[in-house]
Amino acid sequence: MESQLVTLSSSLLFAAFIIYLVAMVPLATSIKSKSKKPGQISIVMVIIGFILSLSYFILRWIAQGHAPVSNMYEFITMFAIMMIAGFLITYFYFKTQLFGLFALPVAMLLMAYGSMFSREVEPLIPALQSNWLAIHVITVTLSYGILSMSAVAGLIYLLKSVPSDEKSWRARFLESIMALIIIVIAYIGTTILMQSIIGYQDDFYYTDKQGQTQIAEYHLPSLVNYEDAIPVENVGDNNYEEADHFHSGINLPPIINSQSLNTVIWAVLAGLVLYGIIRLAIRKRITALIKPWTDRADLNLMDEIGYRSVIIGFPLFALGGIFFAAIWAQIAWSRFWGWDPKETWAFITFMFYTIFLHLRLNRGYEGEKSAWLAIIGFLLILFNLIAINLLVSGLHSYA
Amino acid sequence: MELKEIKCESCGHVNPPGTQLCQSCGKMINSDYDKKKIKDVMRYDGSAVRSKVRQKSIFDKIWIFFTSVKIGISIILLIAIAAAIGTIFPQEYFIPIGADPAEYYSDTYGTLGYLYYTLGFHNLYSSWWFVLLNGMLALSIIAASIDRGVPLFKSLHKQRVKKHESFYRRQRLHKQTDHTADTEKIVEGLSDKRYKVRKDGDNYFLEKGKLSRYGPYINHVGLIILLFGSMLRFFPGMYVDEIVYVNEGEQEALPATDGEYYVENNNFTLDTYNEDAKEVFDESLNQRNMVVSNFQTDITVYENSSADIVGAEPELEEVDQHSIQVNHPYRFGSYELYQSSYDNTQLKSLTFRLEDSDGNTLGENFTVNLDNPEESYQINEDIEINMRAYAPDFLEIDENGSLVSETPVPNDPAFVFETNDGEDSELSLLQVMNSTDITENNDYNIRFVESEEHIASVLTLKKDLTVPFIASGFIIFLIGLFTGSYVNHRRIWISAEDGFTLGAHTNKNYFGMKKELNQVLDSIGSEPVSDRLDDEHNGKEKE
Repeated sequence: MESQLVTLSSSLLFAAFIIYLVAMVPLATSIKSKSKKPGQISIVMVIIGFILSLSYFILRWIAQGHAPVSNMYEFITMFAIMMIAGFLITYFYFKTQLFGLFALPVAMLLMAYGSMFSREVEPLIPALQSNWLAIHVITVTLSYGILSMSAVAGLIYLLKSVPSDEKSWRARFLESIMALIIIVIAYIGTTILMQSIIGYQDDFYYTDKQGQTQIAEYHLPSLVNYEDAIPVENVGDNNYEEADHFHSGINLPPIINSQSLNTVIWAVLAGLVLYGIIRLAIRKRITALIKPWTDRADLNLMDEIGYRSVIIGFPLFALGGIFFAAIWAQIAWSRFWGWDPKETWAFITFMFYTIFLHLRLNRGYEGEKSAWLAIIGFLLILFNLIAINLLVSGLHSYA
Repeated sequence: MELKEIKCESCGHVNPPGTQLCQSCGKMINSDYDKKKIKDVMRYDGSAVRSKVRQKSIFDKIWIFFTSVKIGISIILLIAIAAAIGTIFPQEYFIPIGADPAEYYSDTYGTLGYLYYTLGFHNLYSSWWFVLLNGMLALSIIAASIDRGVPLFKSLHKQRVKKHESFYRRQRLHKQTDHTADTEKIVEGLSDKRYKVRKDGDNYFLEKGKLSRYGPYINHVGLIILLFGSMLRFFPGMYVDEIVYVNEGEQEALPATDGEYYVENNNFTLDTYNEDAKEVFDESLNQRNMVVSNFQTDITVYENSSADIVGAEPELEEVDQHSIQVNHPYRFGSYELYQSSYDNTQLKSLTFRLEDSDGNTLGENFTVNLDNPEESYQINEDIEINMRAYAPDFLEIDENGSLVSETPVPNDPAFVFETNDGEDSELSLLQVMNSTDITENNDYNIRFVESEEHIASVLTLKKDLTVPFIASGFIIFLIGLFTGSYVNHRRIWISAEDGFTLGAHTNKNYFGMKKELNQVLDSIGSEPVSDRLDDEHNGKEKE
C-alpha cells in the first residue's frame, strides 16, 4: 500500500515536470502575442503542475512517515518546487509572464538534476529524527526559492542590457553562465543515457579515506579512479570477482572523491562538445540566441523584482537557515554553531546577501551591478547545496 | 568646511550643520549635495550625518573609519572569505581523535596541508585575527548605527506637515493638477489604507509603516548583543563541554560538577532498522548492511550529598531516571547530557579453553574478567589454572620475569597461567594472538576462544550560559530584519493651497506604493501619479 503511494507520488512529480515543459509553449507564445490567452493558459498549467508537485510531497510524506526532505533527491526536488512557488508569487504580484519563461527552465533543470540522485525512500538515521527536519528544511528551501527569483530577474536584466556581441568581460561571463547551463544539461543527458538506457556499469573496489573498503559504481568510463582501485564485477549476493574494465590509468588519493570527479569531467567534456556544436550551428553566442526573448522586459521592473526577492527571501533564510538550524543543532549535536562546512557556507551565503543589501542601499548598486550580485548569490546557494555535500564530508553529507 | 548651523531661507528653521534638506519644510538647503553623489537625498531624510560633517580631529577620523559603509562591507567580505578558507581542509576538531595535527595535515594533504597547518588555518575560527575581525565588525555596526540612526530618528520624530514646493517635485512619485476639489476624497481613500493623516491648513501629511525605518537599527542592536554573548564564553563558569565515558552498568562522576553529580549507565541500546521497519524501506535496507534507528542510554542520575566535604566517600542519592536519545537530551539544572556516540572497542573479558597434547578440549572453558581477574579457575576435577601474572597492556617481560604493562587499559592483555593437574604444574605466557611455553615439554595448551567487549556510552555534558544572550540577540536581529524588510515606510505629502500638489516617498517597493496610490486615485476618477524613474527611462529610450 505504502509502496504504491511512493510510486504514485513519483508519477505525479513526473507529470508535473511534463506539464511545466509543455507550459513553455504558450508561455513563449504569450511574449510576442497580443492576445492574453496564451499567457493565461500557461499560468493555469503551471498552477496545475505546482499542485501535482505538492501532491508528490504530501503523498511521499504519508508513505515514508517523515517529511521528504532528508536526502539529496528530496531536498533538490523541494528546492525546485519552492522555485515554482517563488515564480507564482512573483507572477501574481508583478504580473509578468516573461519572467516565467526563464524561471521555469531553471526550476525544471533543478528537478531533473535532483532525479539523478537515488530516489529510494530511506528510513531516518537518529540525528534526523526530529520535527526540526521539516521546519528547518522547508523554511530554507522556501527562502532559496524566493532568493533564486532575484537571480532569474538578474539574468533577464543582463541578457537585455548586455550587448551579446560585445567584446567585454561582462558579455563573456554571461555567456559562460549559458555554457554552465549546457554542462548541466549534458550531465543529465549522459547520466540518463549511460545509466538508465545503456546500463553501463563498471565496479571498482577501493579503500576510502577512513580506511574502509568500498565499491564504486562507475556509470561512465573511468577517466580518474581511486588509488589502488581494483576493477571488479558483482557476481550476486554482494560478492565480487576481479574483472577487466576500461581505465585511463589516472589514480588520485582517497581524499578526493574520484567517482564524483569522473562524472564532473565527463559532464564538462560532453557539455563543452555540445556547446561547441551549438555555437557552430548558430554562429553566434548563445546569449544572442536568447536575447530577443528579453526585448520586452522592463529593466526597472526586473531590478525591482531582483531587489524585492532578496529582501523577502533573505530574512526567511536567516530564520530557517541560521536560527532554526541553530536550534536543531543545539538539540541534536549539543552545540548551536560548530563551523561544520555546511554551516560555514550557510554563514557565507548569509554574509554575501548582507553585502548585497548594504551595497544596494548605501552605495547605489542598482541595475546591472545588482543583477550580477543576485546571480553570484544563486551560485553560492547551489555551491552549498551541491558541492559541499558531494565534495566535503561533514555532518550534513546525507546523500 | 566650516561647521555652521544652516538657517532655511524659506521657512527660517535653524538646521544642524551638514543638513541636506531643511528639517522643517524639506527645501534643499545644501547646494554641494550633488557633488557628494548621494543618490537618494531622502535616505536619512536629508539630515546631517556626523561622519559626513566632522572630519578634522583624530576621533573624527576613527569615527569616519568605522562608520564607513565601505569599511563595514570590507570587514564582512574578509570574514566571509576567511570562513571559506576554513572549509578547504577540515578544522582540527574534525580530524581523527588522537592524531597529531602537525603530522596529520602534511601526511594527508601534502604541501598544501602543511601550509594550512603552519598558517594556523586548522583552528581558523578561534584564531586571534578572526576574532579581531568580528570585533571590528561589532565596532563598525555600533558606530554606523549611531552615526545614521540618531539623526534619522530625530528627523522622523518631528516631521512638519507643510513642505516647500520644491520638496513635492523632488519626490519620485508626484502629481500636480489645477483643481483642488478631490483632495478630501483622496485623503479619505488613503486613510482607509491605514495611513495616519495629519493636517495643517490645506496641507496634509500621510504616513504609515514608520517602524520599517528603525528595522536596520533594531537588527544591528540584536547583532551587537549576539557578538557580545559569543565573547562571554571566554569567562570561566559560562561554558562547559565535556565528554562522559560510562561503561554499561557503571557509575561515573560528572566532570566540572565538582563531584556533585554522578551518572549511571543502566543500559545502552543500539537499534537498527530490520524486518519490522516500514515495508517501503525494504529496497533501501536490502542494499545496505545496517542502518541505525536509535542510539539510547538509560541513565540514573545521582546527587552526591557529601560533595562539599573534602575527602568524604560519595553518598549518592538517586535524583532521576531518564532515557537519553539523539535529539532528546536530558536536562538538569543548567546542564544537559547528550547522546554523543558509543564505544565497543574496550575488552571486557577473554574466554579460553584447555587442550591436551592431542588437541582434545578438557573440561569447562574459563573466562577472565580483565578489569578484575580472579586468581584461579577450576577446569575439571583434577585440573586447576592459576593466574601467576597479568598485564592489561603488555609491553615486555622485565628481568624478574614479571610482566610489564604500558597502560592500565586492557588493550593488549597478556597472562602467565600455571596449569596444575595435581601432579605437575607448567607455566605458559599467553597473549591473545600467541602463546609461548615457559616450562619445557608442556602437556597442555591454553587456547583463546572468544572475547567480550564493554559497551560504553559516550555522552556529552554541556552547560552554556551564553545561549540566552545569543538567542535573544538573534531574535532581536530577526525582528529588526523582518520589520525592515517586510514593512514599507510610505509617506505622502499633499498641498491643496494652490491647486493640487502631491509628492510620495517610500523607503522601498515603489511598485507597490504606486499601485496603492493609483487605486485610490482611480476610484475617484483621477489620473495616476507619474513616476520620475519611468520619465527618465522613457527619456532615455527616446534619445
